[in-house]
Amino acid sequence: MLPFFQWCDGLAMSQAYRDSTYLFPLTQALHILAVTVFVGAIVIGDMWLLGWGPVGQSRASIARSAQRVLLWAGLAVLVTGIPQFTTNALTYQRSWLFVLKMYLLAVTLVFTATVRWRVAIAEEGRLPSWVTRAVGAVSLSLWMAVTISGRLITYYG
Amino acid sequence: MPSIVPTFEWLEGLAWTTALRESPYGYPLIETSHVACIVIFAGLVIMMDLRLVGLAFTNAPLAQIQRRLFPWQMGAFVPSTATGILLFCVDPLRYYLNVFFLAKLVLLVLAGLNALAFHLKTYRRADRWDEDSQVTALARFAGAASLLLWSATIISSRLIPNNWFK
Amino acid sequence: MKTKTILVLLAAGALWAVQPVQAHHAFAAEYDQSKPVTLNGIITRMEWANPHGWIYLDTKEGGAVKHWMIETAAPSQLSRHGLKKADFTDGMTAMVKGYQGKTDPGLANGRTLVLKDGRSFYIGSVGGPNDGAEPR
Repeated sequence: MLPFFQWCDGLAMSQAYRDSTYLFPLTQALHILAVTVFVGAIVIGDMWLLGWGPVGQSRASIARSAQRVLLWAGLAVLVTGIPQFTTNALTYQRSWLFVLKMYLLAVTLVFTATVRWRVAIAEEGRLPSWVTRAVGAVSLSLWMAVTISGRLITYYG
Repeated sequence: MPSIVPTFEWLEGLAWTTALRESPYGYPLIETSHVACIVIFAGLVIMMDLRLVGLAFTNAPLAQIQRRLFPWQMGAFVPSTATGILLFCVDPLRYYLNVFFLAKLVLLVLAGLNALAFHLKTYRRADRWDEDSQVTALARFAGAASLLLWSATIISSRLIPNNWFK
Repeated sequence: MKTKTILVLLAAGALWAVQPVQAHHAFAAEYDQSKPVTLNGIITRMEWANPHGWIYLDTKEGGAVKHWMIETAAPSQLSRHGLKKADFTDGMTAMVKGYQGKTDPGLANGRTLVLKDGRSFYIGSVGGPNDGAEPR
């Protein structure tokens, strides 16, 4: 994996970001905004799964709406994230918390794209309510764990 | 007008603010909670704003979405503010002298006023939000203003650590 | 459609994961990687603080005293690398290696601290340059 990180580190874009005073912070600020929108869409979906949406409101339609937001926000996260990653690739690669977070994130993404999505768009009443609640709770916990583990890298990683 | 600097110096000299400033666990906990709560709060506000401007969740009645989101938004806003105050107390002078922090406070107040104004103007017509065209026009404006203000608040917050201005 | 969703989510998430390492400051925004400095002098004050510690160091440059303000990692990180608050006393001699600030020439991002007794400590914040200063 190290060669990949080294390649990222050596990109012209990485150097440009290292040299510029403003590029990195501004990209980072936009990245945080995109992440906030992304998490907002996750939380609103999880609220509905946990049973705290309006009575009679179609959970599936909320899920589909939220998914559209997730995809656009996700794209923004991607675009603003790439230069940040490549600029510091070699530093990240050495952090144990970063590695842990990557595994946690992979699990969370797969869970979100499979189990959570299927449960969210399932017809009302097809699944017992404890299942939907459990999925909502797990999703919320996983995404918050991903967020928190990222923040902790500065202090312990 | 007397300077507030001595008050801030006194504040950062207190035993508990000093302990927090030097702690290996307490400060990280508070800062992490601050960010996590803000992401939830602002994320949900942005979802509501997307509905207000008609960009998402258009199948859900406006009033219903607002009623359901509001307790969660407040539930996240309170710890966001509490942790924010604690963080400020740890190093008040540094933040007081930081243009991005001051901008963040101003933007926060403006965003709050915008939300308040919208609630006051439309409260009595809550049940007819989706049929009342005046409310939908107000909603669109308030939603757009809110999106702008909260985005600016978040961006300003992210720029606080930069020492570009002295 | 599902595959595309998974791919976008995976990629987005992967890059989201990475960003928080830089979370509260970007090295490049404040410090110049092309201006490494080695500072020998007297520590007038050390702030053992979150989110960053600060070492105030005076160096002598051609007869004149230069005041440096050097950013370090948070207390949790400094402890992890063997430093204690008690290791610092005002007026002690020390050497710091780091990188000079971009807009403020009296500012530096500290990477290595060497005390008078010869002990060397890594004091760099996460997200600094990949210069081998970090012990691994």
